[in-house]
Amino acid sequence: MIDVRVSNPDRFINRELSWLAFNERVLEEAADPATPLLERVKFASIVASNLDEFFMVRVAGLRHAVADGDEAPDLAGLTPRQQLAAVGERAHALVDALYRLTTGELMPALAAAGVRLVSWSDLEPGRQVALGDFFRDAVLPVLTPLAIDASRPFPLLSSLSLNLALRLDAEPGETEHRLAIVQVPPGLARLVAVGDPGSFVLLEAIISAHLSLLFPGQPILEAAIIRLARDAELELDDEGGRTQLEQVEREVRRRRRSDVARLEVSADASDDLVALLRGHLDIGADEVYVVPGPLDLRVLVGLTDLPGLEALRDPPHQPVDVLATVQEADFFSLLEKRPLLLHHPYEAYDPVIALLAEAADDPDVLAIKQTLYRTSVGSPIIASLQRAAEQNKQVTVLVELTARFDEERNIRWARALEEAGAHVIYGVRGYKTHAKICLIVRRSPHGLKRYVHLGTGNYNERTARMYTDFGLITTSQAVAEDATAFFSAVTGYSDPPRLKKLVMAPTELRRRFLRLIDREQRRAKAGQQAEILAKMNSLIDEEIIEALYAAARDGVVIRLNVRGICALRPGVPGLSANIEVVSIVDRFLEHSRVYYFMNGGDEEVYLASADWMTRNLDKRVELMFPVEHPEHRAKVLYALRAMFRDNVKARWLGADGQYRTRLRAPDEPPFRVQQHLQDEARRLASLARERVGVILKPEERNRPRERESTIG
Amino acid sequence: MTHEEIELTSPKLVAVLDMGASAIRLVVAEIAPNRSIRTMEEASRGVLLGRDTFSLGAIRSRTIDTAIAALDNFKHIINGYGVTEIWAVATSAVREARNVDVFLDRIQRRTGIAFAIIDEAEESRLVFLAAKQELRRAALRAAWTLLTEVGGGSTSLTLLHQGQPNRSAVYALGAVRLRQQLDLRRLTHDVQVAVLKRSIANVIDEIRLDNPLRRVSHMVAIGGDVRFAASQILEGTGENGVREIPRDAFLAFCDQVERLDEEQLVDRFRLPAVEAETLVPALLVYRTLLSETAARKLLVSDASLRTGVLLDVADPGGRLSAEEFEQQVLASAETVGHKHRFDRVHGRHVMSLATQMFDAFRDDHGLGDRERLLLQVAALLHDIGIYVGLRGHHKHSQYLLAASQIFGLSNDETAVVSNIARYHRRATPQKSHLPYVALDRQDRLTVDKLASILRVANALDAEHLQKVTALRLVRRERSWILEIDGTGDLTMEQLAATSRADMFANTFGQELVIRRGGVRS
Repeated sequence: MIDVRVSNPDRFINRELSWLAFNERVLEEAADPATPLLERVKFASIVASNLDEFFMVRVAGLRHAVADGDEAPDLAGLTPRQQLAAVGERAHALVDALYRLTTGELMPALAAAGVRLVSWSDLEPGRQVALGDFFRDAVLPVLTPLAIDASRPFPLLSSLSLNLALRLDAEPGETEHRLAIVQVPPGLARLVAVGDPGSFVLLEAIISAHLSLLFPGQPILEAAIIRLARDAELELDDEGGRTQLEQVEREVRRRRRSDVARLEVSADASDDLVALLRGHLDIGADEVYVVPGPLDLRVLVGLTDLPGLEALRDPPHQPVDVLATVQEADFFSLLEKRPLLLHHPYEAYDPVIALLAEAADDPDVLAIKQTLYRTSVGSPIIASLQRAAEQNKQVTVLVELTARFDEERNIRWARALEEAGAHVIYGVRGYKTHAKICLIVRRSPHGLKRYVHLGTGNYNERTARMYTDFGLITTSQAVAEDATAFFSAVTGYSDPPRLKKLVMAPTELRRRFLRLIDREQRRAKAGQQAEILAKMNSLIDEEIIEALYAAARDGVVIRLNVRGICALRPGVPGLSANIEVVSIVDRFLEHSRVYYFMNGGDEEVYLASADWMTRNLDKRVELMFPVEHPEHRAKVLYALRAMFRDNVKARWLGADGQYRTRLRAPDEPPFRVQQHLQDEARRLASLARERVGVILKPEERNRPRERESTIG
Repeated sequence: MTHEEIELTSPKLVAVLDMGASAIRLVVAEIAPNRSIRTMEEASRGVLLGRDTFSLGAIRSRTIDTAIAALDNFKHIINGYGVTEIWAVATSAVREARNVDVFLDRIQRRTGIAFAIIDEAEESRLVFLAAKQELRRAALRAAWTLLTEVGGGSTSLTLLHQGQPNRSAVYALGAVRLRQQLDLRRLTHDVQVAVLKRSIANVIDEIRLDNPLRRVSHMVAIGGDVRFAASQILEGTGENGVREIPRDAFLAFCDQVERLDEEQLVDRFRLPAVEAETLVPALLVYRTLLSETAARKLLVSDASLRTGVLLDVADPGGRLSAEEFEQQVLASAETVGHKHRFDRVHGRHVMSLATQMFDAFRDDHGLGDRERLLLQVAALLHDIGIYVGLRGHHKHSQYLLAASQIFGLSNDETAVVSNIARYHRRATPQKSHLPYVALDRQDRLTVDKLASILRVANALDAEHLQKVTALRLVRRERSWILEIDGTGDLTMEQLAATSRADMFANTFGQELVIRRGGVRS
């Protein structure tokens, strides 16, 4: 049976617009005067970086759809052309707001704090001379000026690179102005110190001031900075693995037509220059973003790392060490007593690293199997896996090569693991492996013991300090059996298994979710109290959303914490009056996926690697796992419910598609969920310490302070 | 802890492989010194051996390659654990293939795994062993319970009365077999389902004759397809043991699934293609059976042939479970006896005497425990032909037994039992006796030996008074002397037994002298 349903704009919100709305919320954080200045700067640079990705992936896709004559409307009833128009309008507004904030507030505030970007003309002549020497010594040798004329076509500028575009006077005897391009060398630091502490000039400004050296004897009419966002070719993320044929088709199409999704031009560019560029790049006026400030605001992150500005940052985050009070001789014997549930970043990621490190060195450990999606540079987890493989343990690693924009890095460490003797599997054909699971098999006098770690976030100790995620380490027999069967299936040794405790996508997860939602609906119909709470990054699956609408209509209370894109329209009378959607954008990136079903009082709580997104449910290998220990369930549920108590950083999605903060009653104390959960974690840790008594543990010195942050 | 101590107390790792009609399945488990079993991993790979066997009569070369590839993958898993023992069994799809020997030889040469073909009786024994755990439940002891496994090649039914196997049979009604024999591919989906239903109904008619299905109040279902159905119908996660599906919910689910063709099944349930092929035929068999019974719910068990093999392996020697199994077979045999109003006391007494003789002559006849059980069943039921008429009742016994269903006995074994019973009196085997000639040489020899024993044992209770209570064997150079002891005058018994020892002497080449105990020559 094919369900023919007319898409209805009143029922769904367009995903691209919802995504832009998310970045508007991030921008609100950058605008919030209550946030420390350098954190605001970071939020601004996150918006810029997110926009880059958005143009390369989503806008490029929409442009292709339009070019292909695709008129199929999305869930919200918009054709690709309509979407492109709506997205363009809103993206321009977002970029304008971003630059208004950055140049109007953030940069002046930075200057007041002693950190400034200086323009070339504001430099003292002495400085200019010194920088001229620097230019001739270090920059000029790596520059390649390209003049463009009939015989020399416009160069293929790489995506997101900075370039200078010049208009040269016409050659003698010609009338046409000529165009020339100089790429800003990506290998050189873009921030160049000018001598005064805290003062920098941008590399492109230095190049711009010396252009006459590159084009001697040719009158330069003007020069502007430009930057392109191209279609990200290796992008397989959104609609899953493309077939070989589709890839070839794409490539052919790419050659035929411009794949430029956006052109950014510095505000000093003349209309003539922009027109010249548009002609060469074959793009419309809407795709040109004239930017009144530095292009690529990611450069500002470099300024936030300067020493001596502690007062302008959030205090460094100190996760709670849950193992501080543990007295067991080794980690393995601790785990045999009770499973461990970790809530990052409030609780440290160290136990996961320790588990793998111990496993690598424990002579009784026979095998380690693990999925890796994105991990950090110099990851201690990879080091442990490598060490384990070198000691002839059976190490199996399922690496996802196509994790967006991380391919090259992933290939590098995967090779290193292989050389150490690990069995490295480069993904599952047709599906992206997004599940986060690690299985350790250890020999004991009483037989084999298995330890399983399951998580909602990647095996990346750096992001674990910035992303909120849950992790569970357990020795449960049923989970271990499932974990083992999972690895046998993804390594191709067996057919997809029927699992006991875990739920796997693409085989079972969608149906399980639909059944869980349906069960609440039936309970509500039967007059029972029924409630669904869910937390995820994005919600854009039609079937799930329809199921939620149906459940809500029958009286199920549905509260959703969706950080990013949300295609569900809450609060519509007769459709979704029972549904509320809240988004938290704060210091830590909300990343955990939690699903709660009241089930008539026999509550069920699940954690998962998957969002309620079509791609997660159908095109990826994902895992969901139940939280069964009563204490753990209470802990997860407490955090989940707290999301809806936030009255500082939470925004509620309205039926009109707009996000709004809730006004606090005059006597209502502020409640900031991330702060609260952090305080709560500390309180519980100190309680645990009191119970255990005095333990003397040496404090680690020089622990690197983590001050990166990404949202996207 | 010394090295030896570790050896003594550490569990051993075993792998069990099961080659069925639609898949090859693996379970790796740890068996502790106390014989408890802990499953480490289960894996399966769809290989449609049955598609070849049930339509071509043989397994094609390409399918053999697929099977070898699947086993190669399983060996990766097995080797990862340091498994020390591999137990590999194959059932109907391999058993019935013309090229079974070539097939198994190629598998063994390429993978090093030696598969044993197990027959239907052994299959039901192992499955029953696996399901037994769950049958301890009180509800199943109090009622007529039907234990059903629909496999790719066949459907195995065991009827339990008060928890004891009453009768069992294996029917050539398998999900893969049905598809192949009915050549469903060329038909539209709706017609396929109709054809399936009709041919299933035919077999169910036959089953209904053998089993009081209407009286069945509990139905236990075993098998991959029904386990899948349970996982879809029931909420939450199923752990070990039995899952209960209300009758209506199961029938509704079957209704829903029947409407979907294979492609839709794959799409809807994300099933591997092979499983999508067997799901509808298998569920149709379960649902038809369930509708015939009075059961209000379907109990879906996680038991499988593999877990049965594991249980067998866990108990080294297997005596315990084998003994229990023999009890089940004999209980089922008694049911057949009751049906024919046999003299139970006489039957049991002859069985006891025959068993004593069998054990005393173990070195001479060279037969094993399985044959011992066949003798016991034949001894217990040798007289059931009297139900038809006293005259020539040994011949009536033969055909009645041949048509009976006794739990745990294969068709071949039932044929042997019926022949043993036939020769408990009167003529010894002749070339003109068709049921005897129909046996293969090995089985004929078994009949000769066991019938020789039964004739003597039966004669020792000629008066049906159970006077002989003890036997003692004395070996002489040229003859064997069987000393009998008991209550009262044993002259009749001695004479009768002496006159029936003719076949014994011919079969074993040595004279059997029957003597009363305490009398010395």
